[in-house]
Amino acid sequence: MPSVDALPHTFTFDPDKTALLVIDMQRDFLLPGGFGESLGNDFAQLSRTIEPLSALLTAWRAASLPIIHTREGHLPDLSDCPPSKLARGGIGEQGAFGRILVRGEYGHDIVDELAPLDGEFVVDKPGKGAFYATELSDILDKLQVQKLVVTGVTTEVCVHTTVREANDRGYDCLVLSDCVGSYFPEFQRVGLEMIAAQGGIFGWVADSPSVIAALAASQEQK
Amino acid sequence: MTASIGPVKADPYLWPYDGTVPVSRTALICIDWQTDFCGEGGYVDSMGYDIGLTRAGLPATARLLAHARELGMLVIHTREGHDPDLSDLPANKRWRSARIGAEIGSDGPCGRILIKGEPGWEIVPEVAPVAGEVIVDKPGKGAFYATNLDLVLRTHGITHLILTGITTDVCVHTTMREANDRGYECLILSDCTGATDPSNHAAALHMVTMQGGVFGCVATSDDVIAATEV
Repeated sequence: MPSVDALPHTFTFDPDKTALLVIDMQRDFLLPGGFGESLGNDFAQLSRTIEPLSALLTAWRAASLPIIHTREGHLPDLSDCPPSKLARGGIGEQGAFGRILVRGEYGHDIVDELAPLDGEFVVDKPGKGAFYATELSDILDKLQVQKLVVTGVTTEVCVHTTVREANDRGYDCLVLSDCVGSYFPEFQRVGLEMIAAQGGIFGWVADSPSVIAALAASQEQK
Repeated sequence: MTASIGPVKADPYLWPYDGTVPVSRTALICIDWQTDFCGEGGYVDSMGYDIGLTRAGLPATARLLAHARELGMLVIHTREGHDPDLSDLPANKRWRSARIGAEIGSDGPCGRILIKGEPGWEIVPEVAPVAGEVIVDKPGKGAFYATNLDLVLRTHGITHLILTGITTDVCVHTTMREANDRGYECLILSDCTGATDPSNHAAALHMVTMQGGVFGCVATSDDVIAATEV
């Protein structure tokens, strides 16, 4: 079985029972001029993840393993947006790439470099966590997945919330430091530390080249 | 005249977002104030962490609890724990706890670690539930997953949550994130929480305040008490 050098200890995975989760790599968060940048954030802190994630997707696709993309967003009538979230501003308003975080708009979709292919899952979620009010649990059950390789943005918000949900549900989560990004370097660092703290209270942390190498080695053995 | 709360002097905005809320729509959530997390001989103590850090929020929480009871606010306590046969304990959670030297279900100074009914699993006396208060038992870090918490809150017409408990970055944060996704307006109290690592406590609170309050707001128990109108 492939194994990866990780914190707090080695992560071993059966590729047939492992899915790649790509969280919210949407134009609204990643592109210059998008919602993320309009809030005063440095989008480059996120866009640095596109290149390693693209390489990881290539390796994962070559091995024909399951890939699940998520998108945060709301229905055009905003009926699934809690009033407290709406009150914080932005959502549903006209932005550079259409109505901000509204399903069907250009900005709500995934960046071109990481666009989902046919046969890959796309889960639309109304919140930060990918499990609440979505079909993600059903998809994972159907795939008989036990472990998740977690990537995407942002580290301390949607990635962390989803990893916490997955961990409570008994999934082993490996978070890839070079494929997750935060607008804030402090939260990138502490967000990753929190995952691996206390013996790996939420999961494991490694980088994508280690996973790609482990996957390649296991393919050769086949 | 019904009692109300708000606006509370909070970071990053005056809480709640909708100005003032009747106490009847607000719940005080006390997360995992169990001997296993903040008592001598409990799980956290057994792992070698300083329980002085996880106990730090107890006096302020006890004071706020008394205030909430006087107001007639709904109080909900949570307890993390597993069935004695461990049938609700995920394999990886058990494996990790064994690896760090305090396996869930094994015998410790306060009984079997994190097992329902054992002395270590009980809530500490300073903030113990009184008759009529809701207790939610949870198998994970979040208080919403695999529990009746959402049903209890909706049944009582609750829309706003004030969060206390331990630990800030683990169970309190996970629960706050779950609540926020479900549309509850949340306030976490810096003096009524605590973590095994003080820098994680600070970082977890800081995370709440970013992006205009991505998970809600941070305040102190004094801010809440000062913003209550009876």
